[in-house]
Amino acid sequence: MTKKRTARRRSGKDPARDKHFARIFSEFRGEEGDLIPILQKTQERFGFIPREAVRRIARFLKISENQIYGVASFYSQFRFTAPGRNSIKVCLGTACHVRGGQILCDAVERELDLKPGGTTEDRRYDLERVACLGCCALAPVVQVNADIHSRMTVIRLKETLDKYE
Amino acid sequence: MSKRNDKVSISIDNSPFKVGSGLTILEAAEQNDVYIPTLCAHKELTPFGGCRMCIVEVEGMRGLPTACTTPVEEGMIIRTRTRQVQAERKEILQLILSEHTSSCLICEEKDECKGFMGTIRKAGVTTGCRYCPNDRACELQDVVEKMEIREIGYPVYYRNLRVEKDDPFYDRDYNLCILCGRCIRMCQEIRTANTLAFKQRGRYTVIGPAYERTHLEAGCEFCGACVSVCPTGALAEKVSKWEGKAEREQTTTCPFCGVGCQIRLQIRGDEVLGSLPEQDTLINDGQLCVKGRFCVAEVVNNHRRLRRPYRTQNNTRRELSWNEAIDLATERLSACSAEEFGMLISPNCSNEDLYIAQKFARVVMGSHNIDTSARWFYGTGLNGYLNLTQMAVPLSDLREASVILCLGLDTRFSRSVVGVELRKAIARGAKVLTINPRHHSLSVIAEKWIQPTSGTELSLIDSLVKLTPRKAKPSRASSKATIKGLSDELLAVAEMLKGASSPMILVGSEFLQHDESPQILESIKTLAQNTGAGVLPLPAQNNLFGSILMGTYPELLPGGFSSSSRKRLADLKKIWGLKIPGLPPAWEKKMFPVDKKLKVLYLVGEVPLDTLPESEFLIVQNIYPPDPWHAGDLALPAASFAEVDGTFINGEGRIQRVRKAVHPPGEALPDWEILCRIARKMGNKGFNFSSARKVHKEISSLVKGFGNFDKPSRKASPLTCEAELFIPRAKSKTMKTADKRFPLVLNTSVVEHTHRGFLLSTWVEGARELFPEGVLEVNSEDAKKAKISEGDEVVVTSANFEKTWPVRIVSEQPQGTMHVTLRQGESVGSNPHRVRIRKKNV
Repeated sequence: MTKKRTARRRSGKDPARDKHFARIFSEFRGEEGDLIPILQKTQERFGFIPREAVRRIARFLKISENQIYGVASFYSQFRFTAPGRNSIKVCLGTACHVRGGQILCDAVERELDLKPGGTTEDRRYDLERVACLGCCALAPVVQVNADIHSRMTVIRLKETLDKYE
Repeated sequence: MSKRNDKVSISIDNSPFKVGSGLTILEAAEQNDVYIPTLCAHKELTPFGGCRMCIVEVEGMRGLPTACTTPVEEGMIIRTRTRQVQAERKEILQLILSEHTSSCLICEEKDECKGFMGTIRKAGVTTGCRYCPNDRACELQDVVEKMEIREIGYPVYYRNLRVEKDDPFYDRDYNLCILCGRCIRMCQEIRTANTLAFKQRGRYTVIGPAYERTHLEAGCEFCGACVSVCPTGALAEKVSKWEGKAEREQTTTCPFCGVGCQIRLQIRGDEVLGSLPEQDTLINDGQLCVKGRFCVAEVVNNHRRLRRPYRTQNNTRRELSWNEAIDLATERLSACSAEEFGMLISPNCSNEDLYIAQKFARVVMGSHNIDTSARWFYGTGLNGYLNLTQMAVPLSDLREASVILCLGLDTRFSRSVVGVELRKAIARGAKVLTINPRHHSLSVIAEKWIQPTSGTELSLIDSLVKLTPRKAKPSRASSKATIKGLSDELLAVAEMLKGASSPMILVGSEFLQHDESPQILESIKTLAQNTGAGVLPLPAQNNLFGSILMGTYPELLPGGFSSSSRKRLADLKKIWGLKIPGLPPAWEKKMFPVDKKLKVLYLVGEVPLDTLPESEFLIVQNIYPPDPWHAGDLALPAASFAEVDGTFINGEGRIQRVRKAVHPPGEALPDWEILCRIARKMGNKGFNFSSARKVHKEISSLVKGFGNFDKPSRKASPLTCEAELFIPRAKSKTMKTADKRFPLVLNTSVVEHTHRGFLLSTWVEGARELFPEGVLEVNSEDAKKAKISEGDEVVVTSANFEKTWPVRIVSEQPQGTMHVTLRQGESVGSNPHRVRIRKKNV
């Protein structure tokens, strides 16, 4: 119950409410091709694609939840879990990969008991793998929220993450 | 691809061919017996071009196009087996195999191993590697063999996915999946059920429903179409796992509901392995529901089938020979008068069985005391239902209908071929409207879903009748309490019905056990007359029509004539060459005499229930032994539908053949033959039939439409029945007034997933999960209020009963209402019913 409440407080939006969807759907005609723009609007509004949204989109477009999930899970831009307060992005582009990006990613996964694309139980962090952050000279790179942390090591990683509440 | 008449000339592997333009290269090659390996192509599905096995060389084209997606063109020069093409195919196949367990495909010892696979032990055992349930029924194996792959040059990667065994009827091992997408195209294009989709991408791609849901949660209909098209062992039917390929097929009619789908029984030796749909354009067109697809093998081929006659005396069971059994039956029946005899036959039996049964009762016993369980199922609504069947239109009319109103119809697990037709109709622009108090399979796809609150079903349909222009005179004063302030939804539905050029009404089972069902059915009839809509009732019993036409009711003679008609009785007398009694006065105004003790009660394809009349001697003739608590006195083993010849009549009035596919187990015999043997033993003439064909011939002299046994006309023709069945008036209702003590409304329906009196869930493992009989479905809010959680035992109390049921929480169940499916013979009095609930032992 408390978890639910904090989540609601954070996003300030309850996906069970009709008005959000009424607003999102009002821009569309309910054709199959509207699916991706609707998913984008939904993610914009809630920060992720809640199950309730998939259910309602299915009703609106008259296509099944399974198809919607199939489409949405194909694109990495859509996520199905609520984002954490801090988002960690571990770069696994060529340069970062060579300098041990995967080891950093594994460390985060182990330390926070988190899978890429997931959020910790206390919603403090969420984790994503990204292909390149565009600062290969600083590899390996970890981005937390808007901050780029360069030449990251496993030991420094923990200290860095602790700074973000 | 459209096939036009004009031909193009092409060359495949240096041989010239003339093929229809609009074909793909693959189709053209297949027509001319040129082999091109394929994995993802399937004749029922649109081309996909996913597996790349069908690449060919086309002169003048860049690269190697896939044959399944490239249309033929005039003068095309195609080469299918050049060295380059073969090398590329081998490479691609090896890449596919690098993610597929390949021990069944590539093994040095394979050829030598084969000779030693069968070993003799106590039971037959097959040794050797068997990693996959579809071994030897696998298309991948065929392609690997044809491509002569001997080794895989890539590191083998095992995906280590969990084998999904949670769902009934089929298992899914996606480690064997080659992502050809056939199952998905089947589910989306043909079934339009949309349960399956590709999830994720790249090497993480898997197939399945949204999130980590099981198929049951995702709304799967378990039609098994995906299993049929899977080229590997990724999708495997539980019941025929490890069985290998069928040796032969037999087309017959599915016995599990009144739609009457044509099925192809898969047979190996003398055993039914399973069933697949027939491409029968009149009805199922390559589709089936879960019952026809998965339940057949387990019902027919069950080790608990009744094999020999036996007698139960002082709680001991003694097996008899047929002669002893018939002597015993003869002795008891000879000592029984017409008044003290009763026979109950299942409307699942074939016409031949039904005909002989009523002839047996009337000629041998001189009694009209014969009835079917349909009378219990339809209760007070039986006459209304029969009236609707007299207006039945063919199912194929759905393909032209512009507006389709579905009343109390749920197509998820039963009649789901109708659901497929409805979804196709929506795709071509027809409007589907549904009236159903509960959440059902059509609620998502329908244009309008009208959800009547419990108790207002009749007034809702009556309002619709009033909103449509009156053509037929209402035969009764429609109920006064039409819904006040008609909802916009209802007005819209009425408008659509009025404006439609070819409307159609489908009637499911939801309202049939309702207290007001006679009035509801009558209103449906008026509505159909007002709007000019075709009506199609979809009965749950596969041969309800047959039972009426064969006359297995006290009030009816063969041909649907009234048994009080002296003229008809005289006609019958001539044909049967015997004296037939008139209707006994005591029976004229009664249904089966529940209150009277009979001397002999004979059940054909029915099971003993507490609600049946008591009898001194009970004969049970069925495919399964009766349960030990109601063992009866004499059990006779009958042959199942897969083991007999005969005919069924489906809900549209089509006469359809049932064909013998395998031999009955043990000493079981067809129902008609057992009855004939007893009749002959009792010294009666007119029962010398050597086959069902002969019985059919006699029926054809009495009943219109019957004729050619091998090729029945199969023309849909509405029922003709001149007599009304006698139905006692229902007693007063307890529903009208709200009562504070009983805040909830309980709706009941009677189980329709039965075959020959047995619940399908008794004999079919998977059916137990799908058909919740005796489970109380409660709204989640109501459950929260009563502090009930899933699976709890709940005591339901009303003014006249108290019962305990396990609970299933269904968020879609309307608040304040509950639903339970009652087993046959179970009753709670009125329906709907005001009740209260509490958790047991609290």
